This record gives sequence, C-alpha cells and structure tokens, in this order.
Amino acid sequence: MEAGHIRRFCEAIGDPNPRWRQEAPPTFLVALGTETPEIPEVLEYGKGWLNGGDRFEYLEPVRAGDVITSRTVLKDVYEKQGSSGSLLFLVFDTEYTNQHGRPAARIRGTRIRR
Amino acid sequence: MSEDLPELVKHPTTRQLVQYAGASGDFYEIHYDQEFARGTGLPGVILHGLLKTAWLAQLVTDWCGPEARLKTLDVTYRGLDFPGRPYRCRGSLKSRGNGTVELEIWGEDPDGSRTTIGTAMVEGLR
Repeated sequence: MEAGHIRRFCEAIGDPNPRWRQEAPPTFLVALGTETPEIPEVLEYGKGWLNGGDRFEYLEPVRAGDVITSRTVLKDVYEKQGSSGSLLFLVFDTEYTNQHGRPAARIRGTRIRR
Repeated sequence: MSEDLPELVKHPTTRQLVQYAGASGDFYEIHYDQEFARGTGLPGVILHGLLKTAWLAQLVTDWCGPEARLKTLDVTYRGLDFPGRPYRCRGSLKSRGNGTVELEIWGEDPDGSRTTIGTAMVEGLR
C-alpha cells in the first residue's frame, strides 16, 4: 500500500478528507488488482461489461505501508432476461489479507455481460 | 427518527473519468472512448460504478467523522450516469442500536432517478 497511490486515488475521486493521508479510503482496495479476470468464454457473451453492484465488508483498517494479499474466486454465474436481451451475471468474491495474516476486507462484485 | 445526511453533489467530467481510470487501474474504454462506448450500445462514455460508490462512501465518512468506522458498504447500480451531468449523493438514517447505525444511501441523476442504491453500516459514532 503506497501513500502516493492512495493520494492519487483520493485526488481522482475528489475526496480531500485528511483521514485518507494514512488510511486508505473505503473503495481504494479495488485499485490493487485487475477489475475482472479474462475468461474467454465470458468475453464471447454479449458486447460489453456493466457493473451490477459491489459489497464491501471492512474488518481492519488498511493503511499506507501495509502489505495486502488478495484472492479472488468466481462465486456464481447466472443468466437473466433483461429488457434488451439476455444478460450474464458473474459474482466475484475477493478477500484481502494484511501482513499479519488477518483478513482486512472482503469485496463481492457483480459484473454483467450484455 | 428520520435523519438525513448532508448531501454531496459531484460534477463529473471526462477528465475525472480518465483520472479515475489511472488511479483505479480500470481502463475499460467505455469510460473514456466515445466511439468504443457507442460500439457497445451505450449513448456515450459513462461513469465508473465504483467512482459513484467512492462518492457514496465519501457521503458517509464526511457525515460520521474520523472516529467512526465503516463496517459495510453495499451498492447496486441501476442506471447509467454521464460526465457533464451533476450527481447528487444522498442518505438517511435507517436504524440505530448497539453502537451501530444503518444508513440508506443513494445517488441521483439530474432527473431525480436513483441510479445507485445501497446501504452502509457504521460503528463507533460519538
């Protein structure tokens, strides 16, 4: 976790809160990894991605200088009929572990192919 | 027991979307390449969902102060939002108990549509 990266992220979202000079702002963890893994069969479905939702669970504060390890699993895949055609939903669960070996946060992201 | 959070209004620009793409590492072209965005059936470039979530998180942390801790933040994206259109982040207190408050939070486009809806749990409010 680099202080400079956190600062650039805060500038990008427009959040000047001094609390984020050391502590990472709540959605920063998404900036540590690639958004969605490349799955060829999934990329053949529809024309593009949309974001369906995100759920963040915070267990311990994450600060500049921490060493974070993330692990993502594809938890669920399902299809739905939307107003303009069928949609494919992919649910990704990511757990972030800190340098003490303790889980710091979990994120469930729902991504949609349409 | 209804209490509203002071609203947070954002004025997103294409510049900010590029800035967010760089800082977050999400370089999906629908957020900065108009032609690419239209090619996927969108009317033009759209805001990152997670940028809207960052603003909803800011709405909550501005309100709760530095001592309180965000425990959960849960959002669903229901509509598209575009640069050049103001985005209003709003929230209200849903319940309070055991040192924890639950908030209802949402983001509104200029037509008043709630294009992002969600909840947040905050602990340790003074």
